[in-house]
Order: sequence, then structure tokens, then C-alpha cells
Amino acid sequence: MSDDTADRPLLVILRHAPHDGSWLREGLDVALVAAAFGRTVTLLFMGDGVEALRPGQTAGPLGQKGTHPTLDMLAMYDIEDLRVDAISLAERGLSTAELQWSATPVTAEQLPAVIASAAPVFNF
Amino acid sequence: MLLHLLNRSPAGSRLPEDVLRAMGPDDRLLLIESGVYGAVSPQADCFKTLKGRCYALQDDLSARGLAERHADWIIPVDMAGFVALTAETQRTVSWY
Amino acid sequence: MATTSIARHLDVGGRTVALDPEGYLVDLDDWTPAVAEALAAEEGRTLTAEHWEILDLLREFYRRYEMAPAMRPLVKAAGQQLGPEKGRSLHLMRLFPESPAKVAARLAGLPKPTNCL
Repeated sequence: MSDDTADRPLLVILRHAPHDGSWLREGLDVALVAAAFGRTVTLLFMGDGVEALRPGQTAGPLGQKGTHPTLDMLAMYDIEDLRVDAISLAERGLSTAELQWSATPVTAEQLPAVIASAAPVFNF
Repeated sequence: MLLHLLNRSPAGSRLPEDVLRAMGPDDRLLLIESGVYGAVSPQADCFKTLKGRCYALQDDLSARGLAERHADWIIPVDMAGFVALTAETQRTVSWY
Repeated sequence: MATTSIARHLDVGGRTVALDPEGYLVDLDDWTPAVAEALAAEEGRTLTAEHWEILDLLREFYRRYEMAPAMRPLVKAAGQQLGPEKGRSLHLMRLFPESPAKVAARLAGLPKPTNCL
């Protein structure tokens, strides 16, 4: 457990869709807190988490806040490194070109290194 | 080298596929809680590529009646073994 | 998030506005410029044009992002919209001493920023 984490990016893996409990929001909150304190943050969207990048989201039917305004806000917190698992994206019929927020696709070959090179890793 | 912890069963979840994709060639996987259902055949088949580095927590297997039922290539570990695994690996990543 | 517990009331030109234990509005819809003036007056502050451009910026930030910013994004937003010499924590510290993100959010009728100390 002892390795130097100071110059590694903090990684938050987001694996839950918008409007599906509070997982996605809580993951984003962790990222925002870390960024507010000056940490370099990488977000990795995986599984249903890639749905957070889909265009055209709104508030929920009962007025529940969506996460799209928070995605818009990431740049204000200097969270610019958004990655998206290419397979998860393809499984859901999405391509990076149509995403509302620009995210770098990560291939299956690259994925382990993205996770191994970050510390700490938070999984939501 | 990382230790990945998985606490959900493979049936009814795509999570194991995501975990497998996220794992590096030397990373280890420890099945805990409901994750140990994945230690039993045929669910265990999805982890076969991890032979030699796929573990399951003994107490969680026993609690679920799986003590003698896990696939023979899955390595059961007790709490001491769990601690040893975390000591051998740089970091732990939990999947749930 | 705004808390629903009412600690006290503030009188603003004959209207009563509920405040939570930390002095934030209980109902964000209660906010008017006069509320900001009254909250500032309580702290012995008079709001100048320089204060107001930050409060306006904060209200716009909240409208867009549905969250009150921590200090870093507040500084960044000020720099982007008001120019580099106002996009500095020193400028904000001078206007809203001690904890600009919190003090200014309170005056602007926003919830307490969640992502800062």
C-alpha cells in the first residue's frame, strides 16, 4: 500500500447512470472536493456511467436535479481529463463524437494502465 | 500490481466484465461477499483467464454454503491471506 | 444544500426572511437585492459595485450549474468574467474577508458551498 501518490492523478471511476440513485452524484462530489483542494483529477466513465455523457439530459420527472449541470461545471474546477471506456460506449450504441462533453476513449488495452497509474482510485 | 475486490455475483451484472477489462496482467482479484458466488462453476468460468491470481474469501464462501463447492483453481484465502494480499499489492480497488 | 431548520429571522423592509443556523436563506426564493443588503449590514458591510459584480456572478454560476462554487472555481469565474485582476483570491478576500466563497454565497442567496472547508 506504500507508494507515492502525490504526483499521480486522483482517479474517480463513474459506473452508474444519471437518475440512478446517488452514486454518480457522489462520485462527482468526490472529484469536485479533490479538485477544489488542488488535486489533479481524472474521471473515467465506465459501464452505465458512460450514460452521464449522453446529450439531451434534463431534470427528472419530479424535478430531481440531473448531473448534466455538474458535468458542465467540471471545467470551472479544472477537471479537464475525462476518459471513457470505449467498449462500454460501444455496448450502448454511443460514439465519442456524439457525447455532450468531450472525453478521451480508452481501449481495453489501455484501461489497466489508466487505473494503475492513478492514486488513489475511487470507484462509484 | 493492484488487488481488485469484487463483491457482486456475476449473474445479473455486467460488472465482472468491466473488472476483467480494468485489470492489468499481474493484478489479482479477490472475490468477497456476494462476489464469492462467482467462485462456483459455471459462474466461475468468466474468471478463468485469471487462473493463479483469482482468490475468494473463505469466510464468505462458508457463510454461503460454498466452502467445498468453489472451482478448484480458485484460491480460498482466510483473513490473514487477505491481509497478505493487500500487503503484496500496491493498492486496492473495490468494485461494487 | 439548503437546510430546512430555521434558526432566526431577518427583517427586510417589513418582510420576514428565515435564516438557517449558519445564516443562509432557508428558502432560496426569498432572495432579493434588499436581502443581500440587509445580510451585509448585519455584518457591518456596505455592498459596493465591486461586491455586486461578484454576487451577480455567483447567482449566474448557481443558475447554470445548480451548485455554489468553492473558492477555486469562484476565482476562475471572476477571472473569466471580470478580468485577470479580479480573478485573484486577494481581490475576493478583500471584498468578503475570511471565507469569500461562503460569505459571498450567503449574501447572494445561494446554499452553502459543499465542496470547501
